[in-house]
Amino acid sequence: MKPWAPFVLALSVVSGVFAASSSAEKLQKYQSLSRSGPVDLDSAAFEELTSAPRDYFTAVILTAKDARYGCLMCREFDSEWNFISRSWNKGSKPDDLKMVFGTVDFDQGKAVFQKLPLFSYSPPTFGPFAKVETDPARFDFTGPLSADQLYAWISRHLPDGPIPPLVRPINYMRIISAITILMGVVTLFTVLSPYVLPIIQNRNLWAAISLIAVLLFTSGQMFNHIRKVPYVAGDGRGGISYFAGGFQNQFGMETQIVAAIYAVLSFATIALAVKVPRMEDVKGQQVAVLIWGGLLFGTYSLLLSVFKTKNAGYPFYLPPF
Amino acid sequence: MAEPSSLDVLLKGSSGRNTRGLLRIVILLTVAAAAVASRLFSVIRFESIIHEFDPWFNFRATKYLVENGFYSFWDWFDDRTWHPLGRVTGGTLYPGLMVTSGVIWHVLRLLTIPVDIRNVCVMLAPGFSGLTALAMYLLTCEMSTSPSAGLLAAAFMGIAPGYISRSVAGSYDNEAIAIFLMVFTFYLWIKAVKNGSIMWGALTALFYGYMVSAWGGYVFITNIIPLHVFVLLCMGRYSSRAYIAYTTWYALGTLGSMQIPFVGFLPIRNSDHMSALGVFGLIQLVAFAEFVRGFLPGKQFQRLLTSMVLLTFGIGFAGLVLLTVSGVVAPWSGRFYSLWDTGYAKIHIPIIASVSEHQPTAWPAFFFDLNFLIWLFPAGVFMCFQSLKDEHVFVIIYAVLSSYFAGVMVRLMLTLTPIVCVAAAMALSAVLDNFLTLGKPTPPSKVNADGSKFFGSGKGPMVGIYSSISKLFVSGTITLYLLIFVAHCTWVTSNAYSSPSVVLASRMPDGSQFIIDDYREAYYWLRQNTPDNAKIMSWWDYGYQIGGMADRPTLVDNNTWNNTHIATVGKAMSSREEVSYPILRQHDVDYVLVVFGGLLGYSGDDLNKFLWMVRIAEGIWPDEVKERDFFTSRGEYRVDEEATPTMRNSLMYKMSYYNYQSLFPAGQAVDRVRGVKLPAEGPQLNTLEEAFTSENWIIRIFKVKDLDNFGRDHSNVVAFDKGLKKKRATKKKGPRVLRTE
Repeated sequence: MKPWAPFVLALSVVSGVFAASSSAEKLQKYQSLSRSGPVDLDSAAFEELTSAPRDYFTAVILTAKDARYGCLMCREFDSEWNFISRSWNKGSKPDDLKMVFGTVDFDQGKAVFQKLPLFSYSPPTFGPFAKVETDPARFDFTGPLSADQLYAWISRHLPDGPIPPLVRPINYMRIISAITILMGVVTLFTVLSPYVLPIIQNRNLWAAISLIAVLLFTSGQMFNHIRKVPYVAGDGRGGISYFAGGFQNQFGMETQIVAAIYAVLSFATIALAVKVPRMEDVKGQQVAVLIWGGLLFGTYSLLLSVFKTKNAGYPFYLPPF
Repeated sequence: MAEPSSLDVLLKGSSGRNTRGLLRIVILLTVAAAAVASRLFSVIRFESIIHEFDPWFNFRATKYLVENGFYSFWDWFDDRTWHPLGRVTGGTLYPGLMVTSGVIWHVLRLLTIPVDIRNVCVMLAPGFSGLTALAMYLLTCEMSTSPSAGLLAAAFMGIAPGYISRSVAGSYDNEAIAIFLMVFTFYLWIKAVKNGSIMWGALTALFYGYMVSAWGGYVFITNIIPLHVFVLLCMGRYSSRAYIAYTTWYALGTLGSMQIPFVGFLPIRNSDHMSALGVFGLIQLVAFAEFVRGFLPGKQFQRLLTSMVLLTFGIGFAGLVLLTVSGVVAPWSGRFYSLWDTGYAKIHIPIIASVSEHQPTAWPAFFFDLNFLIWLFPAGVFMCFQSLKDEHVFVIIYAVLSSYFAGVMVRLMLTLTPIVCVAAAMALSAVLDNFLTLGKPTPPSKVNADGSKFFGSGKGPMVGIYSSISKLFVSGTITLYLLIFVAHCTWVTSNAYSSPSVVLASRMPDGSQFIIDDYREAYYWLRQNTPDNAKIMSWWDYGYQIGGMADRPTLVDNNTWNNTHIATVGKAMSSREEVSYPILRQHDVDYVLVVFGGLLGYSGDDLNKFLWMVRIAEGIWPDEVKERDFFTSRGEYRVDEEATPTMRNSLMYKMSYYNYQSLFPAGQAVDRVRGVKLPAEGPQLNTLEEAFTSENWIIRIFKVKDLDNFGRDHSNVVAFDKGLKKKRATKKKGPRVLRTE
């Protein structure tokens, strides 16, 4: 794993009464920068922002947005981070609760990344919200995260009291595009309805969709989707093992094999029930019955043997397999 | 062929009809008897005992009902659970199950058959499964013209493991009667749609109301019937029959369901029920449009229809959004929502995600529960597409939806099983009807076939099977599959679904049976050795059993209605003693019960569930309980030498392994579940003392110590008793106070 991939949020508070003037200046400076979002910081600015006498909180995210670093999460979370800081800046909050949001990108602030684990700020100071522990609180991102979760964490580290609510900005683009797409679809449908309606009303199509859905669901496709199982796995000897060991496990490919087996069995049954009795040729019917019946028998035997590998104590089997 | 004439007398004409009717009744009774008999393994092997967890609560509630009468049961406030909150039990349960067995008990007493209420409860599920087989026969007969389909479906339903899993003798749970009610309601609904009669619609509503009183799964019916009607409307199959059936059902059924206190006003306030209301409105409009169509010329009618559809859709949608936002209509309930967004429960409701029944289903489970029905099922669905009458549309919708649900949640296999039996019976009977006829068809001369355009229906009319070799081959193999099915069902029932899980059975090395009865041993110890109102704290899984078997008040139980209270117990279990003790004192806890499988290798013990306790507690106190602290730096969950300090100091760890090393030679203690060697030095408990440990160490009960007489700290007391030198306090402290939070 790359050292910067799990980006880090540092929230630190140190406040100084005796150096209030410089603190106020800094606050003024960075707050004016962060009207619309978090301040972009480089190493020097980060130093200045977090240097000792200050009576405000800082929340800084260390990230690597550039495509070179391949940090997908960094880029995904950037917009969330933006809107956290925006809702903070715009919302109403107690006068003496001040906070600056910042972003340090790896390109601009390599030094910060290097010294972050050694973070320690010395002066214990006195102020309305000063804490004895001066180490910044760290939040390690271990997976995708929504702004609400992070905001809940931040608010736990702030003193008790009202804080601005998280207001998710209304995504006008999305609403407009949704309406446009909807209208487009309606228009398209109206124009194409003479051609589309026969397809929609086609019984074969619906039968195919329903059967495929049933086959997928009964072969454990939802399990793959929820548990994110691997497609296939090696068997440790250089080969591929198609079937996962154990009753509660499965591979992606395994479920497809099982679905195919079910499909073959079903269609053999359908053929025997529907097709064969309609055949008028005596010989041909005899052959068809033997083929479909044999296929049914062999495939079912295969299915039982596959199930036996999953469940070792299973006592039943059919001859060929 | 000795006496063909006498056979002809029996099988042809009106006496033949009677013979077939009699045979049918005999077969159905045999199927019902087989359904009951295959569920009795546990009674024969163990004894007539209530199983598992939830049934113990239902049993306790039933006892309360027959002792105190119906009205006090309706108003029951239970102060012996969820101490100190209590639970408004009468208003928060589905009373159908208890009332049913209460009525049966009273009827039996009226007939002067003296029977214990416990036996009524134990045998209720098998009895109702016999009725389910009959209801399944009726339902399938509505779907298929083949006379054998209904009988096959009844037989499948009677012994399919997917249904047996929740209805063996002693499994006294809501599903025991709910599946019968569900199948029967569907039968009545199909009848109502076919006949368009108010009587059948009202009967549907009646049984729907009964279903609502019995099981929370009634929401499935509430949504699938409107969906059926909706699809019929979309297919342009509006008929006055559907209108009569649906409006009758909706009006009466909704009124009926609102009579249950637990349901109350949900049918008009909860999004789960909104589809039924919406389709009710829609069908009125369609009916009105049909009415107007008779008076207006085509062109004007088209315009009117289009504008009306757009208008009502817009108004309806806006109204629903408005009502949801303003809070009049509750949004989707969490359990329902987690069916669609499969990641939802894991993030937002860990208590739902923690239940093993709510896990997704792997494919072996489908085959295990349904055997060869699972591949007959798609064939049956295909058959439905062939004729595609109104009732077949119902089968298709039900099949697709319930196979999705069963894939997402293991327990919903139960709702899948009925439709699988219907579809499989339709497919199999279609095969058997062709291959089991004795007569040989004559090859037809050229007939002008007027086949439909449906690809599977073949081009020509049904001819039949010519050669008896074909018939013999196919019917022989199908008989073989059926025999395997019966053997499979018996094997599965006997091996997997007949354990009471209160009493465990295992095999000794020499093959003899070894009964592990630790649960009852411990619960009876509590019953006989503790005061009547001693509060027992345990993880919620065991709450119902403690209430039912030990008859002692508990802090949390399987009803999980108060997540914070459960998180409190989780916090007490996962924190250090110094943190836990004040929690225990504040909640008046006298005894703490833990389940420990380390000695026997019983894997369902509390240490394996421990992470869920941590997670649920973390959901409420994220700063005090952290899941990360229970994993080593390499991310492993360990209990041995390398366990994290948080793990080792947690109350659960200490209680589980307290004194455990004394069973082994020094330094040899082994945990057989997790397969690890334990530290030589066992944990030390200061604020609790061991009160009872069952024979196989599965259940351990600890008594919470009272405050020390001299006002000392418990750790100091233990140190003093051991003769250790007292550590001198460096500075004077204030008076001791009970630590809060």
